[in-house]
Amino acid sequence: MSEPPSAAGSDVMLEIRGLQKHFGGLYALSGLDMVVRRGEIVSVIGPNGAGKSTLFNVITGIYEPDAGDIVYQGLSVVGLRPFQLVKLGVARTFQNVRLFPNMTILENAMVGQHCRSRGGVFGSIIRTPGVRTEEARIRQRAEEALSFFGKRLSGYRLEQPAFSLSYANRRRLEMARAMATDPQVLLLDEPTAGMNPRETLELRDHIVRMRDELGLTVVVIEHDMRVVKGVSDRVIACDYGQKIAEGTYEEVANDERVIEAYLGTKAAG
Amino acid sequence: MARAQLSLLERLPWRRIILVVLGVVVIAVVGIGAARTLALTPAEGGYSADAWEDFIVQGAAQGGIFAMIALGYTLVYGILRMINFAHGEVFMAGAFGSFFFADAFVKSGFLNSSPVLAVGILMLVSAAVSVGVAVLLERLAYRPLRNAPRLVPLITAIGASLFLANAFRGFFGPQPYGYPKPGVLAGNVTVLGVTLQRTQLLVLAVAVISMIVLQWFISTTRTGRSMRAVAQDREIASLMGINVDRVIVTTFAIGGLLAGIAGVLFALTFEQVQFNMGFKPGIAAFTAAVLGGIGSIGGAALGGFVIGLLQAIGPPLILTGYGIPSVFSLRDAFVFLVLVLVLVFKPGGLLGTGEAEKV
Amino acid sequence: MEARGWARTGALAGIVTIFLALVGLIGEFTDVYLIGDEITFAGLMLVLPAVVAGMVAAAPRIEAGVRRELRVGEAAVAAAVAAAAAGGVFAVAVLLTDLIGVERIRTVFIKISPQLMDFLTFGRSTVGGAVIIVLVSTAAGVAGGLLRVAPPSIRKPVGTALIVTAMFGFLQRVIPIMFDQLVLERDWLYSPIYDGLTWVGALVVATVSAGVSVLYARFGGQVRESLSGGPRREGSAISPLWLIFGGLAALALLAAPLLLGSVVSEVLGSVMVFALLGIGLNIVVGYAGLLDLGYVFFFALGAYSLALLTGATLNAYGIPPEPVISGSLNFYVAIPIVMLIAAVAGVLVGAPVLRLRGDYLALVTLGLGEMVTVLIASPWLVPLVGGPSGMRGITDAAIGGISFRDPQNFYYLALAFVAIAAFVSWRLAASRIGRAWTAMREDEQTADAMGISTTRFKLLAFAIGGAIGSLGGALFAVKIGSLTPASFQVLISIQVLGIVILGGMGSIPGVLVGALVLVGLPGLLREFEEYRLLAYGAAVVAVMILRPQGLIPNVRRSRELQDEERLQDEWVKTVKEGETPGEVGTVTGVAP
Repeated sequence: MSEPPSAAGSDVMLEIRGLQKHFGGLYALSGLDMVVRRGEIVSVIGPNGAGKSTLFNVITGIYEPDAGDIVYQGLSVVGLRPFQLVKLGVARTFQNVRLFPNMTILENAMVGQHCRSRGGVFGSIIRTPGVRTEEARIRQRAEEALSFFGKRLSGYRLEQPAFSLSYANRRRLEMARAMATDPQVLLLDEPTAGMNPRETLELRDHIVRMRDELGLTVVVIEHDMRVVKGVSDRVIACDYGQKIAEGTYEEVANDERVIEAYLGTKAAG
Repeated sequence: MARAQLSLLERLPWRRIILVVLGVVVIAVVGIGAARTLALTPAEGGYSADAWEDFIVQGAAQGGIFAMIALGYTLVYGILRMINFAHGEVFMAGAFGSFFFADAFVKSGFLNSSPVLAVGILMLVSAAVSVGVAVLLERLAYRPLRNAPRLVPLITAIGASLFLANAFRGFFGPQPYGYPKPGVLAGNVTVLGVTLQRTQLLVLAVAVISMIVLQWFISTTRTGRSMRAVAQDREIASLMGINVDRVIVTTFAIGGLLAGIAGVLFALTFEQVQFNMGFKPGIAAFTAAVLGGIGSIGGAALGGFVIGLLQAIGPPLILTGYGIPSVFSLRDAFVFLVLVLVLVFKPGGLLGTGEAEKV
Repeated sequence: MEARGWARTGALAGIVTIFLALVGLIGEFTDVYLIGDEITFAGLMLVLPAVVAGMVAAAPRIEAGVRRELRVGEAAVAAAVAAAAAGGVFAVAVLLTDLIGVERIRTVFIKISPQLMDFLTFGRSTVGGAVIIVLVSTAAGVAGGLLRVAPPSIRKPVGTALIVTAMFGFLQRVIPIMFDQLVLERDWLYSPIYDGLTWVGALVVATVSAGVSVLYARFGGQVRESLSGGPRREGSAISPLWLIFGGLAALALLAAPLLLGSVVSEVLGSVMVFALLGIGLNIVVGYAGLLDLGYVFFFALGAYSLALLTGATLNAYGIPPEPVISGSLNFYVAIPIVMLIAAVAGVLVGAPVLRLRGDYLALVTLGLGEMVTVLIASPWLVPLVGGPSGMRGITDAAIGGISFRDPQNFYYLALAFVAIAAFVSWRLAASRIGRAWTAMREDEQTADAMGISTTRFKLLAFAIGGAIGSLGGALFAVKIGSLTPASFQVLISIQVLGIVILGGMGSIPGVLVGALVLVGLPGLLREFEEYRLLAYGAAVVAVMILRPQGLIPNVRRSRELQDEERLQDEWVKTVKEGETPGEVGTVTGVAP
């Protein structure tokens, strides 16, 4: 199989109900609700420590929630292991770029296609035609995903180890790798962190292209408001593990509670 | 387009199922074996109450030795997050070192004329040698690898263990040496209605006292506090002005001290030393440390006694019931099995921090 | 490094020499001649620490933030001080020994004998001997120091000459046999009386190797260039240079038993068995990154299950020779079954255990290996596997009248299996499965988050590695013809691990080299048998501290950036004028 199945007719890709997660005495998520529809780009914003990365970790199965439900295309996915979620079509990047540093760029991307391929032990040993075709297809898909970001991650670069990449290219590689899993929903965790203004704006356009050209549903955790403004269909603001505002960028940016969460003080009078 | 779904096979919590099945099997095997053994009269191959008493006492005494060695493992692990595989050889080195003095003492009659002083000196010598080896290990083999990925120090420790054992083999030869026992330690004594060998009483007494002293040291003295601080967070401790290198050396030294004393006790109990005597007690002690929760001092102490008792009582209690001949020859396998089961079911140990799953 | 530092280095070297003497590495080898009847192995051991001290003392200094090589005079002084200190420390030890009395010391350190003392004092009085020790050490150390600061055009040939000559000296059991087999005259090279090299022979070897070194330095770069054929093309993984080396190696492997005779073939057979084990463990440790300290589990399982399946009998006294489970299959029919049993066992054992973290996994596997060791020797399982006396009558895997128990035939059988295993391993590494393993090894959590079922692939590695290990065990059983528990100790696990580590985790040629060094050398140099494990331990520690990636590391693990730079330049040239590399523009050739 190479394409993951998707919900028939229904508009809702991902629904989060009353999600709770605590670590000892620290409540990272305390009753979070969220809905993401097909083809949307939703931004999740909030001050540091608001539980945004934890949200991603819980959705993708790295942590198990203490309470609440996560429904993906009508299927409750709580308790599934991360690799199972990838197979279902949910891919992610990490806040602190986790590549496979000693693997080449192409190999990193090819890992993404792992869950869409089947080559087994015996087939791999004797290189049956089926396996060879599959390898070629994996390679091609990986190159396609990489070429989404232009010439940077192509050509001779493909055989270079990932650790030799510049910071911005590492982030791009991580995204390409996630895209190589043929996902339906892509979770990006602070994708522009550490990039200079030009790279940031470029990435902003890339995210929009992900939706427009590849049909992906994207959920982005972001701090850079230029990006949030430029990509979002909807913005969700969080603080202390809960949703405090939701709407278009303008609505949320002007919401009192959001301003208070970021700046900490109520406007006088 | 179909809805998202996973096959039933993929949705089953396999891990939990395997563990439950395994747990049930273990409990069944243990329970049935024990029941059948206890149903046997001594004539049929079962054991008398006296025999059980002997087993328990022996297990406790062995446990004391294991506990002392286990403390060395747990202290080093707490500070460096590494398993000092060569700690068994630290133990062996001390025992061997004290042997030559013991030999001289017995030949000159000193051992029997002033046994307390003699044994005291033996323990001192043994501790000195063990501390020396432990400190050398830290300095030469482990310090260069302070920041290496976890598996590198472990492999190095294995190499060091091999090296040390074979170095002693080279120095002193492969044969066992008979370790002399002072006359005053021969025979039995009855305490609180329980009959034990005098050696066993000594072992228990020294073990318990050592552990109390260690506990006092760790919790009260400044060095003990520093050790706890470094164990919690090495970087911050160094920022607080603690000389981390010195604390680490001290930790190894304390572990060596305890192992050295345990070495003399072991030698007195089994009346021999040999270059490879460190391997099995090392594994048993390590199992004890993990059982009690690696990194926890109380855990190591508790674990030591538990393992001692398990290996003394387990084979006769569980295996006899199945008609297995020579249950005591399987004692070592029993300890290893306990190690495996502990790590499978409760890697965090009984009193430990519970950090065992890959993070 | 100032005088105090030099002296400290020297003192350390002196202590090492004392250690070598106490452990017996000097005393036992006073009659193993390396060259003529003057240079003995013992002599080498005596001065080697001093030489090393000299080289270390002559190391470049750091002055005002800049590294500076020492001048000749400085180096000589530094080396002299260090080596004199080394010799001095050792001389003091010798004097003390004489003072206390050799016999008294001998009651503790059994390797110190009057003969040793005689050797160490060069046959003279103790004081005279002590003085000579200091002088000889100093000379040796200075030589080492001077070599260190010599320009590469001198250092490389001399160093090569020394090492190669020493190797020829060590291999005095092997190389003469080669000459004999090829019916070549060898008395000029190896002394028939003393077994070591003759002075003439040593000179020839040294000169030739120095010459080769000089030639390589001069022309080697060009040869490599022309053979590697320019920038590496995409997709092509094998350069002509590798093909040549590989071809030569294959030729050597095939011809070895014929060239080297039956005795050496026997050793090579063991090397092949261990190489097989190494390939199997390499999959578990090198590919999947699981530290397995209990590999002997599969080794024993393979050996004993083969024995039982092919109708071997019990050796124990007083019981019927037929094991409770017994088959009488042909070796080649039994092999797949043996491997299947091992794979299944690997999965069963691995399932509850593989989720554990690195060092815990290591210890669990150690425990499992140990359990098996105890069980096969236990009285309980005597009716099955014969207890301490073991089993005998293992099949000799004969085909068409050729018995594979014969050392030379066995070697080829083992080589065949090694080749198959290596092929399987290579193919897996280059496949999707190998990619999954590498990803898991680099970052398990991320691999999981990228769609790889880590549990499944860990079990797969364990099962495949176990199957190969059991194959090794089965071969071993055929080789020996009988089995005893003494052959299945934890030491096997550690040795195989040593092979994998030394050869560079993840590298198949490395495993072969590792097996040759760690199994072949001790096998050929029988006198050193007693010190094998000592050397192992020291080697493992040294490798871990100095070069964790092993001797022949996996290409993936240590990339050559020189090639990269060259390729990069090529690529830059192909970018069209006016276009900045990497600009977001049209993507060539591939549709999104």
